[in-house]
Amino acid sequence: MSPRTTFEQCALPHLDAAHNLAYWLVRSRPDAEDIVQDAFVRAFRAFGTFRGGDIKPWLLAIVRNVAYRWLSVRKRGSNVVSIEEAFAPREGDVAGEAWVASEEPSPEAQLIGAQERARVLTALAELPPAFREVLVLREIEELSYAEIANIIGTPVGTVMSRLSRARGELRTRFGTLSEKEEKNAL
Amino acid sequence: MRCDEAQQLISAGIDGELSRTNAEELREHTQACASCAGVAADFRRLSQQLKSAGREILPARLESRVRLALTEMAADAPSAGVRRKPWVRQLAALAAVFLIAVFGTWTVTRQVDSEARLQQDVLSAHVRSLLQESPIQVASGDPHSVKPWFNGRIEYAPEVKDPATEGFPLAGARLDYIGGKRVAALVYKRRLHVVNVFVWPAPSAEDTAPRLISNKGYNLLTWNHGGLTYWAVSDLNGAELQQLKAFL
Repeated sequence: MSPRTTFEQCALPHLDAAHNLAYWLVRSRPDAEDIVQDAFVRAFRAFGTFRGGDIKPWLLAIVRNVAYRWLSVRKRGSNVVSIEEAFAPREGDVAGEAWVASEEPSPEAQLIGAQERARVLTALAELPPAFREVLVLREIEELSYAEIANIIGTPVGTVMSRLSRARGELRTRFGTLSEKEEKNAL
Repeated sequence: MRCDEAQQLISAGIDGELSRTNAEELREHTQACASCAGVAADFRRLSQQLKSAGREILPARLESRVRLALTEMAADAPSAGVRRKPWVRQLAALAAVFLIAVFGTWTVTRQVDSEARLQQDVLSAHVRSLLQESPIQVASGDPHSVKPWFNGRIEYAPEVKDPATEGFPLAGARLDYIGGKRVAALVYKRRLHVVNVFVWPAPSAEDTAPRLISNKGYNLLTWNHGGLTYWAVSDLNGAELQQLKAFL
């Protein structure tokens, strides 16, 4: 088996996770695609240094590095990106379906509905990248603190406190968002 | 547990990343404290919402894009970057050939050069000795006076013999300067001919067979023996010069 085949078999199942992290770091769909491609090429080149075990944290660490390099190069003004742009429906996005990542929506997703999802993701998008990435890795990728620490290159204690602060921030923003909507509704 | 302590642990608590003791204390606190219990409930709800929000939709074309990029890269570097590009190898080969050629030429010319220069030095020293009033600094036919004369003048002790009975009487010795070094010069006579025998330490201890060289009508005979290099120079014919070598 060629090294490429081995690499593809190990790494391609995590394409979804890689894309999700890249997207949440740069919040631009075209950039996220470029980052994922770049990261996979780099990962393949460095595949010889991979020590075995679970490839996902190793791969996500590379994606994260590429994404941060991308961000520092891009550096277009403030780090706050237009939410409208990030959340505007794109060509090919089917209304309603667009919000559901998996082909079969979970019962929870159906219950919460598209509006709720949009609200929590808008709140997430407003957080600084350092908070966004720990939340994405914890809540969406469901990684352990140790794995997250490995990916972002910090001690586990930092992951713990950062997640705590990120959730606090999210709670504040989510609350204000809810209030705004209630006011609008009135 | 105080509220500020509890609030730092709530997040890790819902992730199940707390130690058993911390988790127990936190549970006790939130049972008693409505405010902290509220935070914990909010965190749990947000966590649920994010979890069910799921990943960003993976564009269908991304997988084929990545596969294509990997295939292209693998075609460029089958062993993940170890194999070099062909032009790099060609350039390396060319550079190697060039270096070998330059080094080879340099070594050969240097050897030829130093050999020729030494021969010239030896011959010049011989001719110079004849131009002077006397080719000898210490005139003696006795090897036991000549040999000690070198003590303190040079750092080695050349073998001095007097083959007078063979028709090569020892006339004496002097110091000369050859190849940037002070060397011993032994002077022998053969009828009216003067033979200079220069002696200095050889670069290697190996004995070498005598080699006869003719230069400007002079004959030069050189050999290594006992860790010393000998150069015998004279206008004497080569055969007789070789005879002298046999007596030394």
